[in-house]
Amino acid sequence: MHILVFTKRVPATQEEELRIQGDGKLDLSRLPFKMNDYDNYAVEAALRIVEKSGGSVTAITLGDKESDEVLGRAIAMGANDGLLLEQPEVLHDPYARAFLISSFIKKENIAFDAVFTGVQSEDDQFGAVGGILAALLNLPYSSMVIGIDEVDEAGAVVRRELEGGIHERIRVKAPCVLSIQSGINEPRYVSIMGIRKASSVERKVFKADSYGGGGSPLIRVVRWVYPPKQGGATMLRGELESVCKDLLGILKEKGVWQ
Amino acid sequence: MSVEASKVLSCIQCGECTGICPESGRTPFNVRRLIRKKLLHFSVEDGLPWYCTSCGACTIKCPRRVKPSEAIIELRSAFVEDGRVPATVQKALENTMMQRNPWGRSRSKRAAWAEKSDMQIPHVAETKEKRLLFSCCILAYDPRCMVIPVNVARIFRKAGLEFGILGGEEACCGNEIRRMGETGLFEDLVEENKTGFDEYGVREIITLSPHCMNTLKKEYDLNVKVRHYTEVVAELIGEGRLTFGGSYEKKVIYHDPCFLGRQNGILDEPRSILHAVQGLQLMEFRQSRKDSLCCEGGGGRMFVEVECTTQRNSETRVIEASERQADVIATACPFCVMTLEDPATDKGQVVREVSEILAEVL
Amino acid sequence: MSYTLVVAEVRRGVFEERNMDSFGISTLLGKDIYLVVPDGSSGPGEMFASRVITVRTGEEIFSNPLNIKGIVEQIMSENGKPSCIVFTHSSSGMECAAYLAGAFGFPLITDISGFDKEKNIFLKSYYSDKIFGEFEFRADKTLVLTVRSGSFRKSAVVKGAAAAVDVIENIAISGDRTFIEYVEEEQAGIDITKADFLLSIGRGAGSKDEVPEYEELADLLNAVLSGSRPVIDKAWLPKSRQVGISGKTVKPKVYLAMGISGAFHHMAGMKDSECIIAVNKDSNAPIFESAHYGFVGDIHKVRDKLKAIVKEATVHKG
Repeated sequence: MHILVFTKRVPATQEEELRIQGDGKLDLSRLPFKMNDYDNYAVEAALRIVEKSGGSVTAITLGDKESDEVLGRAIAMGANDGLLLEQPEVLHDPYARAFLISSFIKKENIAFDAVFTGVQSEDDQFGAVGGILAALLNLPYSSMVIGIDEVDEAGAVVRRELEGGIHERIRVKAPCVLSIQSGINEPRYVSIMGIRKASSVERKVFKADSYGGGGSPLIRVVRWVYPPKQGGATMLRGELESVCKDLLGILKEKGVWQ
Repeated sequence: MSVEASKVLSCIQCGECTGICPESGRTPFNVRRLIRKKLLHFSVEDGLPWYCTSCGACTIKCPRRVKPSEAIIELRSAFVEDGRVPATVQKALENTMMQRNPWGRSRSKRAAWAEKSDMQIPHVAETKEKRLLFSCCILAYDPRCMVIPVNVARIFRKAGLEFGILGGEEACCGNEIRRMGETGLFEDLVEENKTGFDEYGVREIITLSPHCMNTLKKEYDLNVKVRHYTEVVAELIGEGRLTFGGSYEKKVIYHDPCFLGRQNGILDEPRSILHAVQGLQLMEFRQSRKDSLCCEGGGGRMFVEVECTTQRNSETRVIEASERQADVIATACPFCVMTLEDPATDKGQVVREVSEILAEVL
Repeated sequence: MSYTLVVAEVRRGVFEERNMDSFGISTLLGKDIYLVVPDGSSGPGEMFASRVITVRTGEEIFSNPLNIKGIVEQIMSENGKPSCIVFTHSSSGMECAAYLAGAFGFPLITDISGFDKEKNIFLKSYYSDKIFGEFEFRADKTLVLTVRSGSFRKSAVVKGAAAAVDVIENIAISGDRTFIEYVEEEQAGIDITKADFLLSIGRGAGSKDEVPEYEELADLLNAVLSGSRPVIDKAWLPKSRQVGISGKTVKPKVYLAMGISGAFHHMAGMKDSECIIAVNKDSNAPIFESAHYGFVGDIHKVRDKLKAIVKEATVHKG
């Protein structure tokens, strides 16, 4: 099976303070960057399928030059090669991104049995590129894939994650697009030496302009704003002992502890 | 980076290493057997190499210069390249790749301890003497330990010793990273830190953790003097540049950290510091100085879940301290502090890092 | 005269509460609300929509993204183009909205949590709610939205007049993706949705080793132990203990969150708890925004101190 896996280079923002600069732009310059967590799971899922039943995995990324890093990581994990669809400016519109990718795939005749993406990217969290791409390519689609029960060139039986701890088991014909949910597997460890070795595997670079550059976007960010504050918690302060006593006091008040 | 490889071919299987290993007998870990397996290229079970605490006792005891502790690191390196690492180790390594500390906390917050204190602590570049205080990931991020760098800073200020820090430009020293087998990452950390030292013309490094001291001194190939802060404080006391006001009327039993005492011979300095505190009654553990009982926090053990059905060494230490009626267990290493404090809290004992004792009599 | 089309989310015969947010945003948009539902339940739909369109097919076929295009095409041929198509921001909502947007070339904004009617601008979260983007869109095209649960339901307004009723008898059903069955998680006994007091641990718990310590605390406090997604992903707790959008939604009297940052998908599962107490070492953790009480500190230390105090109190009582 030949699987094309989309990967994205995103900033790690967990404990960071994000600042909106004077010119209205977000200052991401000091943040560390990494592979989108969901994509890690997608690459791992693709590798396991191919390791079991043969085939190859191609990692592909749409982004600036630095996005090559995530291709390196995917190759270090075991992907056979990497494609960089180089687009220097960020395209916020998921439709524009998916349109660009579909133009690229059609023009370059990229063959595959399945396209994997992560459920969403950690930065914009649209969760839409996979679905839009599938529709543009006229392929069957499933998002939130939390388990792949069977898969071959004819198609796959997968489990989709729904709310409330329920899954939906469905059959999807190949070729198809699947958006992989985190927790489906445990992505393997990739060492620094592994990443260094991966740098010797050639990545093909394609310029987004040659495929229409995404065309004119259908949505646009007018400006960035900070989250609306909502009051917030009453903070307990003091020595650990007194805070814990306060806490137990609250539990007593609420009637859940004597 | 200067690290000598192990010499498994020299091993005569005498078993001195296993004899002195803190993990022997209590866990499935057997150093001698692992050396033999490595020599014969036999396969090693997944969990086995991760018991080692890097205490260094085996390497010191070995009559044939095999360097078994290095052999364990080499085994782990092979595992790392194969992806055969426990999930928690994987996380610690990935965190260090991203944020230069194993907890994955924001790099920008590495000097939060300095920012939150009332002292104005300069970047080492802004100092005259280019004396660097190298903090350590635990001290930078663990809320319990963040008081330690503040204490040491205060002590140095009182003694009039000029120093600066690197703040967010400081990366994990890599001592534990190398011992967990991630050689590539260790090399990256060394390069990053060294570039920082060179760029700012650092002339002397004082570390707060014996682990950082160990690797900066012996594995980084630096041209500058590297010391643990207890060496410096002992010297300041000796020169009369530091005196204490109050008294500390407690029975204090001192625990030698492996990376300070056994591996680097810094045994008298912490003791002379504690002796200089009025009212302090210094006690010794039965196994002390170079024979100190390893707390089992080093060698990546902080990140590994190992199965141990017998009493952990940290518990043994706390029980002895209680039996001997010590009021405080003192030590000079953040790993020892964290590892000893868990059983200590359970049993009503108190653990204090040396600087915490000094802070009370300053 | 244009209208807003609300695509209902119906699962296992239940007209999901999340649909109320779709009605809410639709009310704010101001146009007539047309609701399309699968056969069976339209819930309170008749109260909020001016037209209810029932598609004579089961929910599994209705929620299949490959079929949504055909359904919308039929609706458009009868009623003209809607100005907006609204889905819930849920597993099926996101899927269908994206596929639909791709199929028609419609602008799509997902997970909207705010709307400025004057400026015709939607608010969408970035970086797990650290920053929000104000979005404008191509007004000459039908806008597709998925709506964040809880963001707009207060704006839903009950209509006075009875809703018109339409039926779509036949739709094209794709054979490229077919439903097989629903799969329940193994229950393993405990139903966290029934607990009065949940002690919930997150990524901050550190390792599987620490879980028994939290179990002990939960026991001492008569709480049930639950966890956020990362804890379940790492298998520190079974899936039945997961709180969050992909786990269970809980409304206990007290929700004590330890080492949980408060990412949106977790908050969605517990934000209606009567009393949320958060302990986290990150003072910037978003959970402090929604918690009732908070403490910035080391959760292991808090856990151990609580245990010590409770044990001592028990000794004195006994």
